[in-house]
Amino acid sequence: MKIALRNVSHDYGSSDESAAVHVLDGVSLDIASGDFAVLMGASGSGKSTLLNLIGAVDRPTSGQVFLGDVETSALDETRLTGLRRASIGFVFQFFNLIPTLNVFENVSFPLSLARRPKSEIAERVADVLQRVGLAHRATHFPNELSGGEMQRVAIGRAIVHRPPLLLADEPTGNLDSKNGAMILDLIREVHGALRPTVVMATHSDRAAAYGDYVVRLTDGRIEN
Amino acid sequence: MRIFQFSILNFQFPILTALIIRPILREKTRTVLTILGIAVGVSVVVAIQLANQSALRAFRESVDAIAGRANYQLVPDIAPLDESVLLRLQPLWADGVRFAPVIDVEGLMGGADVSSASGGGRDVRPPEPIRLLAVDLLSDLHFREYRYARIESGGQAISPDQDRRDRLSSTFALFRSDALILPAPFARERGLAIGSRVTLNILGRRSTLVVRGLLEAEGPATAFNGSIAVCDISTAQRNFGMLGKLSRVDLLVPEGKDIRVDLPPGTRIERPSRRNERVEKMLRAFRVNLFALAGVALLVGMFLVYNTVLISILRRRRDVGVLKTVGVAPRQIFAAFLGEGLLFGVVGSALGIVLGVLLASAILRVVGRTINTLYVASRPEAVQLTPGVIAIGVAVGTLLSLLSAIQPALEASRVRPNAMIRPGLQQRVAHPLRLALFAMACFVAGALVSRMPPVGGIAVAGYIAVLLVVAGFSLLAPAIVRATSRLFAPLLERAFGIIGRLAAVSLPASLRRTSIAGAALSLATGMMVAVALMVGSFRETVRIWVDQTVSSDLWLRPSKGLSNAQVALFPPHVADELEKVPFIAEVDRVRGKDVLYGDTIIALGSGEFDVAARRGDLPMVKRSSRDALLDALRMNGVVVSESFAIKFGKRVGDVIELQARTFPITGIYRDYSNDRGVVVMDRGLYVRSFGDDRINTIVVYLKPGVDKNRARIALEKQFGPKHGAFVVMNEEIRNEVMTIFDQTFLITYALLGVAIVVAVMGIINTLSALILERTHELALLRVTGVSARELRTMIVLESSLLGLASTIAGLVMGYALSWILIHVINKQSFGWTIDFHTPVALIAASLATTFIAAALAGLAPARLAARIDIAAALKSE
Repeated sequence: MKIALRNVSHDYGSSDESAAVHVLDGVSLDIASGDFAVLMGASGSGKSTLLNLIGAVDRPTSGQVFLGDVETSALDETRLTGLRRASIGFVFQFFNLIPTLNVFENVSFPLSLARRPKSEIAERVADVLQRVGLAHRATHFPNELSGGEMQRVAIGRAIVHRPPLLLADEPTGNLDSKNGAMILDLIREVHGALRPTVVMATHSDRAAAYGDYVVRLTDGRIEN
Repeated sequence: MRIFQFSILNFQFPILTALIIRPILREKTRTVLTILGIAVGVSVVVAIQLANQSALRAFRESVDAIAGRANYQLVPDIAPLDESVLLRLQPLWADGVRFAPVIDVEGLMGGADVSSASGGGRDVRPPEPIRLLAVDLLSDLHFREYRYARIESGGQAISPDQDRRDRLSSTFALFRSDALILPAPFARERGLAIGSRVTLNILGRRSTLVVRGLLEAEGPATAFNGSIAVCDISTAQRNFGMLGKLSRVDLLVPEGKDIRVDLPPGTRIERPSRRNERVEKMLRAFRVNLFALAGVALLVGMFLVYNTVLISILRRRRDVGVLKTVGVAPRQIFAAFLGEGLLFGVVGSALGIVLGVLLASAILRVVGRTINTLYVASRPEAVQLTPGVIAIGVAVGTLLSLLSAIQPALEASRVRPNAMIRPGLQQRVAHPLRLALFAMACFVAGALVSRMPPVGGIAVAGYIAVLLVVAGFSLLAPAIVRATSRLFAPLLERAFGIIGRLAAVSLPASLRRTSIAGAALSLATGMMVAVALMVGSFRETVRIWVDQTVSSDLWLRPSKGLSNAQVALFPPHVADELEKVPFIAEVDRVRGKDVLYGDTIIALGSGEFDVAARRGDLPMVKRSSRDALLDALRMNGVVVSESFAIKFGKRVGDVIELQARTFPITGIYRDYSNDRGVVVMDRGLYVRSFGDDRINTIVVYLKPGVDKNRARIALEKQFGPKHGAFVVMNEEIRNEVMTIFDQTFLITYALLGVAIVVAVMGIINTLSALILERTHELALLRVTGVSARELRTMIVLESSLLGLASTIAGLVMGYALSWILIHVINKQSFGWTIDFHTPVALIAASLATTFIAAALAGLAPARLAARIDIAAALKSE
């Protein structure tokens, strides 16, 4: 899935009491389908916001965001939800698993939500758990897993419905270096095997090395 | 930074601000809901107290106004008193004791023959109850103040102050044999003036008197809300068949003087206040019952405070952790959260008192009507907020809020700082199995306690047993919520997919909070079901009883409604005339009045036992109705009601003493018409023993084949205008009894409705708090593709599940509680045996209401959940 941003700006906190904070300022960006792009920048540079705009979680204050041929910045909430459900996989820094569901249920969540047949869910989840190396942990709950394992479950959940776009926000930020490397290998491997467009935000040079190219953000603008 | 300190608690303002004040202001909905919950609980207690107080105050003030300056009264156990008693008091005159003979009776005014002063058209208003105070108008000035507004003089009305010379001569008009004095406002409201003719039906005699004096609204003229008529004692004695008879003698005894007088049997000298005390005692069980119901609403409110403080702690655990890390002492944390409970308590109580005053007027109407119908004539006016009631409201609301906050506050103070900061902390819930064991202990204790006897006529043990059962079910709440969620998870998943499953697993995941909301709702539901079962059983029992008891064809009464049954009387010759009517087979003359037995007010009744034995089927507890009645006839005995037997520990074969006469008990029958106890004897024996031949109701049995409706019309024509009689069909009596019954329990349902409202507020509160706490999790679901609509469905499913768990628990609890209500509390408070009946429709409606209310309670939090700003929520992690 190709991504295009046209002159996108985004402000936070504009109200009577406080002045708006300009997080993104006139960003234009093109990411080709199947690319593995890395967003880099210091804390507060606007990486997560950019990722949220690409992921149809947020709308820009001005400018246009295109996913494929669809201008997401013009879609209503229902369509945005549908887009996220079908076409995007998210991986977060803090794993963000659903604590009340076990590993199998967490991974199968997007498929269950789409009401896929049970046999298909079982087959696909088994395949994904195999891929992330957690087949033996299927019935465990998130609080029984290590950080690395939780992130692998999160990746499993993000790819189980084979979305054309995978977004990762500091996926190794909360892991030690060994587990971090394992997660990056996994993302690379998924990218290689399924060929989704991957956009990963990170401030680690080591992580950035896994991508095809790096987009650098400074104070809400893209460096040339 | 300047830090203010409370010296006692070493309490620093910044802690209070950070932990309590700011979050309270920020989470407005939750704050408002909690305060409202307490306010509603407190308002119910305050309103009940105010209504009770007003009802009693009206009676007390009337008694005081009528007693005037009398500090003692000579009263008979069974009215009337023989005038000759005055001779026995004569020697006391020399000691400075003053006495005044009094006739003080209730009667009816109007109906047939009220006409206006101008001699205009007849007033067709139905008869209304009135109190007649007849005194020796000259000597009574020692006792009571009479200020005349108008007195008749030579056929004209004059003001006593207008012409002093006329004053003495004008008072003569008041001594004329037909003179009646009315309070001026009372007369004005009814269009009566000097010269108006008024028909009174007093003690079965109808007499038309002329208004010859009007009183200012002072002293006795204010008693019974001004519905009082005054006349000279000789006028009353002559016109109402009371020659030589009195109601009592009022005494004015110099302070410190000991009065010794040889009294006739069945009379006593006592303070006027004794009468109030006896009436209060008679109403005690009724009042305690109302309070117990108000207590339910308050208890539910208490759950709400507990829940709110607990949620505060869970939501602010990070803040608590941070504060502890920087050195805030546990006792300061404890004090801060206790302060939150206190704040809610104080504000909720203040609001509750205001609401209570508004509510009291509505309750007073219902309570007043019940007291009037079932106990004693009292015409309450407005509610009056007294410092005592304010104190009760504040104390109850504040103390209970404080009490509810102790446990969660203590918990917050004990938790280690790092445990509080760590994210994803699971809330600790005591093991459901251990809680279940405690619950069992509560149930066993409740069962044991319920077997204990009443204390002073109040079913204390019953109320404690109710509390123990409630405590038991509250302890079971986590297990019930968990089990229900597990049970319904597959069903929900099948119906709603992963959203259904998520709802089912989310509820037990926050068991600590959800189970408290669930416990509050199941308590409210449980009480609702219990009361529905109790009232339903009672209603069915009474219905069967009325069908069995009211078996005659027609009733002839001097008043249409049952509520005036005691005051409206026929003279005996009406029944004699009735017996001569060709289509009547036989009649049963029924008489009943309140008398003193020991120091308790009971009802003494009489009927014709031979007729009753032949025709009726009195529902008996012991022996057959026929045997008991015929034995009573043969042995000059009595049958007593079950409530009398229980209250005074009497059995068949025992003897009771009334006015120095003894009567053997030959049977015990069921009587739901009053709870003070009834003694019934054959009319012959009654008239012989007490010289009272008046009749309250004549029960008419028609000859076979006579049409009831035609008979009714004929009797109304013959006896209506002549004797002011009403003919009532037995169906009407049955309907009237059931209407009174339903009115009496109206307030019960209203109070429980309030409890349900408070509990539903608890659910809204809990779910809203859970949404705030789960913002991140819910945002995550949204990112993963869950739509706002699906999220709303999930929250409503959660509240529905919670409602379902509470409804199921409430149903079981309701059955347990109804057993205690029927077999312990009712039996001990009122002495009634009630057969168990399940009012299926009522129970189903109660359960459906609770469940639907709980499900709908999820709507507001669901909207909250759907409005989450996903990007902001994700950023906050």
